[in-house]
Amino acid sequence: MIKLIEKIEGEAKLNFNFKDNKIDFVDIEFMSTRNIENILKGKSAFDALVINPRVCGICGHAHLIATVEALESCYDNLQISNKAKSLRELTLNFELIQNHFKWFYLTMMPLFGHKQEVLKATYPSQLMGKAIALFGGQYPHTSYAVVGGVVCDITEMDIIKLQHYIEQTVKFVEDNLIKMESESFSTCKSVDNILKYEGDLPDILRQIKKEELLAYGKSYGRFISFGENSYFKKGKSLKTRVNNNIFIEHAKESETATSFAKNVSYKDKYYEVGPLARAMVNKNKLILDAHRKYGDSIFSRILARVSEISQLLKHSKKLIQKLDLNEPSYIEPCIDIKQFSSSGYSAVEAARGTLIHKVELENGFIKNYEIITPTQWNLSGGTREKQGVSQKAMIGLYDIKMAELVFKTFDVCSVCTTH
Amino acid sequence: MKMRVLWLSAIACNGNTHSFLNYPYIEQFLNDFEFIYHQVIDSAYSLEDIVLNQIPCDILLIEGAISREFQRADVSVIEIIESYSKIVQKIVTVGTCATFGGIFRESDYENTSGLHFNQEKSLGNFQDILDKTVSLSGCPVHPEVLVNTLYAIKKSVNLKLDNFLRPKEFYAYTVHNGCTRNEYFEYKVDNHKFGELEGCMYYDHGCQAPYTHASCNKILWNEVNSKTRAGLPCMGCTEPKFPKQNLFETKKNMGIPEYLPVGVGKRTYLTLAGITKAFNIQRLQKKLFDD
Ligand code: SF4
Ligand code: SF4
Repeated sequence: MIKLIEKIEGEAKLNFNFKDNKIDFVDIEFMSTRNIENILKGKSAFDALVINPRVCGICGHAHLIATVEALESCYDNLQISNKAKSLRELTLNFELIQNHFKWFYLTMMPLFGHKQEVLKATYPSQLMGKAIALFGGQYPHTSYAVVGGVVCDITEMDIIKLQHYIEQTVKFVEDNLIKMESESFSTCKSVDNILKYEGDLPDILRQIKKEELLAYGKSYGRFISFGENSYFKKGKSLKTRVNNNIFIEHAKESETATSFAKNVSYKDKYYEVGPLARAMVNKNKLILDAHRKYGDSIFSRILARVSEISQLLKHSKKLIQKLDLNEPSYIEPCIDIKQFSSSGYSAVEAARGTLIHKVELENGFIKNYEIITPTQWNLSGGTREKQGVSQKAMIGLYDIKMAELVFKTFDVCSVCTTH
Repeated sequence: MKMRVLWLSAIACNGNTHSFLNYPYIEQFLNDFEFIYHQVIDSAYSLEDIVLNQIPCDILLIEGAISREFQRADVSVIEIIESYSKIVQKIVTVGTCATFGGIFRESDYENTSGLHFNQEKSLGNFQDILDKTVSLSGCPVHPEVLVNTLYAIKKSVNLKLDNFLRPKEFYAYTVHNGCTRNEYFEYKVDNHKFGELEGCMYYDHGCQAPYTHASCNKILWNEVNSKTRAGLPCMGCTEPKFPKQNLFETKKNMGIPEYLPVGVGKRTYLTLAGITKAFNIQRLQKKLFDD
């Protein structure tokens, strides 16, 4: 039975196969692609900074940061100031946060039978948009990170404004998402503790318990995360065993017969990426507790994503404190990119998980460009013998509605998946 | 009465969708308008309902570039547009892709373009709906430009449009108008470096603001800033030719920028540049916050 899944920034088709009234295989089909990698071919290297945010309207900033880092990795001795690095990390954090709010309030809550409250999604995400625009000029679709740093200079006044946006967002979290101090939420170690509080998040989590959905959405319990920065660690985790020695060369894309989305695997195995994967690799206590109790279920996945909001807000405050405004925002590269034939790659954590960009330059022009998006990892459409992460998570369910819910806990974005 | 709006996405990145979600008074908007379909906002109809039927509706919004090959829910977007354009009062192209083809004009679909334009070229199809269309270019479109235009339609305001069907209210300005770096431009102080508050990016870094029609420096983005104020050249994203190539560089012929500010001839430019250079204003040679 084929169901069109929509409101995922586009659409996908899930073809459900049942056996004994239970789903025993789901074929995932994405029906279109824009092929931005082809659009990039032959363009001058820096133009990728403008084109690539347009891969995706909701996580375009992650694509910008991935682009700039991929281009920078083509150089041998490029200098980037700590200030520029921190600013990039901050704006990327803000994008992650706005995405999490939109996902939770626009997509998740209605799937649990709640009325969609658009304002609860847009108010905090607008604050985060302002925070990005403060440095980047606008959001979405800025190209403010350039090879060598960032284009803006910032003053104490900007920092004051920024702190206000952050404090307002913290307040929103505390008034709506979970009625406890956001700082305590970010360091809370126990699921049971979370469940004692009021708020939209604990409400949903309690609902999952009450409706006995705790076993729903389990997949392989295999996680991977490549984007490293001052908060996220790189590594893979099998259940709770973490290994930090992972290499991008082992991440491979493969075409599929039935879908425009390419599959992505690591050493031939499918891994989950995203907030849950990041938390497992980072050994976040709260998520380890959730995982110990409920595995990689929808419960853990939702909790991991939403709790990341408070963690990133807290970490952003730390980053701001450490900013040295006297450092340069931009250090001009000593070699003109036009003289360049080289190749490079980058990995950053986008809201939905690891995003990889690979670039090959010839005399400053793009010869080849490859993008692997987070949703490709999670939504890989494997075979019956070797199922993708989200495919596996839907097996054994009785009801298509539930399967759609499980599917959407991976925060599906069809534009990114098919880029 | 709420006006009924269909938000149709074609070959797009959904940047306009998310730009729209940044509209600060969205609550007010949703009191006055109802989406019969939207990518992320809940609606009474599913995409399948929309493409298989002709649900009554007042305004058709199109986001993304258009090609007959591209489908939504297995129906060609062109067919969906043909069906709905007949019954709506107005059609609004939201974003540069839907207006001129934009970035996704170059995607792999056959004959991809905007609704009425392929870059600057007018297209012959959809002539019958030409007088119903309003173009809102921009990559993405500014949320206020979109929302206020929809209110103008609701109020039956007689919108004055330019040659590309863009409301002059927003597109008669150039992005240059209102940039905090204007003095550097006026006095031709071309010492801009990335990462600084000083300097105009027109002379070396490809700023297209003096010949790009949009209100970015008038309305400001996210209510706080603009690309050029931040220090990023205007990429000309509201114009038919977006994206041009070598966006961070100013293309010049014998030292003169190839693209001059709207309405300025080469000779006038040279004369003006000669005069303004003679001013040699010390203040503009220094850092803004110098003691
Ligand atoms: S006009 Fe820009 S923002 Fe809009 S769909 Fe096209 S690329 Fe995306
Ligand atoms: S930077 Fe661009 S917008 Fe600003 S003054 Fe110069 S040309 Fe105008």
